[in-house]
Amino acid sequence: MTSRVSMVGITKHFDAVKALQGASLELHAGEIHTLAGENGSGKSTLLKILAGVIRPDDGTIAIDGSEVTFGKVRDAISHGISMVSQELSLVPHLSIAENVFLGHNQTRGTLGIDWRDTEKRAVDVLKRLNLDVDPKDEVSSLPQHEQQLVEIARAMAADSKVLLLDEPTSSLAPNEVAALFKVVRQLRDEGVAIVMISHRMSEMLDISDRFTVLRDSKFIDTSAREGVTEDWLIERMVLNKPKKGIRLDKSSEEPELVLEVKGMTDRAGAFQDISFNLYKGEIVGLAGLAGAGRTELVEAIVGLHPRESGDVVVAGQIVAHSTRATMNAGVVLVPDDRRQKSTIHDMSIRDNLLLAIHGRPQTPRSKKAEEKIVSDWVSKFKIKMSNIDAPISSLSGGNQQKVVIARCLETKPKVLILDEATRGIDLGAKAEIYQILRELAAEGLAILCVSSELSEIFEISDRVLVMHAGDLTADLDRSSIEESDVVSAATGAKK
Amino acid sequence: MSNVIKLPRLSTLPAWFGVLVLEIFLLVVMAITQPVFFSSSNISNIVRSSAIPIILGIGMTFTILTAGIDLSVGSVLAFTGILLSGFITHMPRVTAVLLSIVITTIVVGGINGILIGKLGLNSFVVTLGTLGIFRGIAYLVTNGTTRSMDTGKLINTLGDGNLGPVPGPFLVVLVVAGISIWALKSTYFGRDVYAVGGNEFAARLAGIFTSRVKMTVYFISALLAALAGIMQVGRLQSAAPTAGAGIELAVVAGVLLGGTRLSGGVGSITGTVIGLLFLQTVQNSLTIQGVSSYWQQVVTGVLLGAAVLFDRFRVQYSGRRKSREENNVTKE
Repeated sequence: MTSRVSMVGITKHFDAVKALQGASLELHAGEIHTLAGENGSGKSTLLKILAGVIRPDDGTIAIDGSEVTFGKVRDAISHGISMVSQELSLVPHLSIAENVFLGHNQTRGTLGIDWRDTEKRAVDVLKRLNLDVDPKDEVSSLPQHEQQLVEIARAMAADSKVLLLDEPTSSLAPNEVAALFKVVRQLRDEGVAIVMISHRMSEMLDISDRFTVLRDSKFIDTSAREGVTEDWLIERMVLNKPKKGIRLDKSSEEPELVLEVKGMTDRAGAFQDISFNLYKGEIVGLAGLAGAGRTELVEAIVGLHPRESGDVVVAGQIVAHSTRATMNAGVVLVPDDRRQKSTIHDMSIRDNLLLAIHGRPQTPRSKKAEEKIVSDWVSKFKIKMSNIDAPISSLSGGNQQKVVIARCLETKPKVLILDEATRGIDLGAKAEIYQILRELAAEGLAILCVSSELSEIFEISDRVLVMHAGDLTADLDRSSIEESDVVSAATGAKK
Repeated sequence: MSNVIKLPRLSTLPAWFGVLVLEIFLLVVMAITQPVFFSSSNISNIVRSSAIPIILGIGMTFTILTAGIDLSVGSVLAFTGILLSGFITHMPRVTAVLLSIVITTIVVGGINGILIGKLGLNSFVVTLGTLGIFRGIAYLVTNGTTRSMDTGKLINTLGDGNLGPVPGPFLVVLVVAGISIWALKSTYFGRDVYAVGGNEFAARLAGIFTSRVKMTVYFISALLAALAGIMQVGRLQSAAPTAGAGIELAVVAGVLLGGTRLSGGVGSITGTVIGLLFLQTVQNSLTIQGVSSYWQQVVTGVLLGAAVLFDRFRVQYSGRRKSREENNVTKE
């Protein structure tokens, strides 16, 4: 077998963050190659470099044995490399035909673009993918899995010899996945080299001819399908970190139920029929891969994400689907994206901290009372700052997050939900936040903690919930689980 | 699913269809109530007065299609007129016209295009800046005075006169709109404009040079604003630093009325022409009815709100129908 693409020693930094450190990938014609690794291991970055979207800092790319450099996307396309990106990259209001030939592949006639011929060619390409649609329709009128086929059709129309699929199945139903895989196999048999990223264990093992594993932005291992098992993959994807942390002993009293989520389904199709309970004084970790529906779930609980059905019950009372009602009932969320969703950058630490109690009975009546509340939290959480009227953006990420947590706690909640609470926070501040959470739980608060970092889940949780593709796949007690159990449940692997 | 009565789907009609219906309705009402409305002098008045907003609107459509905006067009219109008034005494008129247009296009298009397209600055902010700069220069050069000039036949025909029986400005609109419609539909550049506005990342991934496309639309907008500036001089036989002040907002209103979306990727020149023609007809009708010009501004505002609201309902309605149909398919 000849090597079609060979990437060696690829390195890429984003500011101070190392996204790739000397990663390599060897790709043959006519094979389906899975790039495996946990979130943040650098898989997507590697594909984007091969597609010309990102320029590497270092390393070489060779196509059919000759070295190339991609300054822009068109260079990659002209070498026969096409990428189907994770987020759909179609232009929604343009026709199907046009999306197939986007990027100057439309037929050119004497008077500009010949639409009739372009549409005819679109039908030919789409037929090869068993897609029978009117090429004149807007592409946004197609269901999502067919839109994805249109993207693959674009790659075929450009005569691609290398097809990069970044999580193509993450939003597809099982029968749609089967249809997609049929097409992918067909392309492989025609000699196309295909790289795929997937987080679903069964899928990877089902379709791949070869595997390459990345971990912590480094190349770990590569192997042909023979000899690769679930355990082989998990062993290489997950670095077994020692489990540490001081556990506070739980009291032996009967646990008191504070929050019930009953049969909740959202409107966007991110998750379905989720039910679980949360008890007083426990910390529950919610694990899963990106796109499993965890953020949508917690945002639906507090009234930020539209729900189709299901109830949130606090202390026996059904809570209305609104952020205000949920907060009044005592459930608050620390969102995943600090910059976008929780801090108001140019506002002072004081105002950011008091934001959630503005216009409520707890609102402090005087500047003095405000200052007392803020300085109490500052000393309790050891928030490092110059003065409380400095903008919150002057604080480090960890200290900003403490202000946000304090803001939530000032509403006197019964349940605190945190979504990726320590993302982008340095290790010292992480440990402080874990300690804060443990103390809060010991005081009786129920805490739900969404995290993509397994080490974090293990560090703080009394119980672990796992989501996969919108389903709750596991509810595991801390005392009896292994890291691999969580990974299996999160990737949908069968036990 | 079987419909008893087969109505044309609201969602398949072009976005400007509603405005066209309103325009025809308005014309009929005016024909019945005010015979003077259809006098040849009034009709030619509507055509002449809408030409400049339409030319500006066509340029605006290009920028809004890429999810941008060009607020500087009114100032650029005045700037070009002043430039022409300076050149016209020193050289043949044709040379003066061409030179004014070329200089304006390069300078204004260059500033807007490079800052927005290449450097990725916000189009609203950048063109708000150039709006101030070129209006200011026009005032500085003229010291605030209007410059009368002998424009000669060519400039006069572009802005006001007739070519045979046909009004000159009408011909200009016809040519510019025709070329633009063709360019947007049948050239790679035109399709890139829609792709960049519809999904910039997708366009980049398809190998389109998105920054070059964004830069080009500001050159087009500057070119058409310069052309409108020449037409304005032809219409008034003078160049005023106040020319076209505030016109950019009326132009944006007409473009949006014509179904072009501020978020980019959706819209058409046909819609823009109809939208601006409609605004002009409304104004003209109100004037004939003796309604004060203050009320005309209120009416324009209400119409714009109504059009955007209507478009929202149209999109939601078709979206809901689509998801219902999908559900039905999966149930079968």
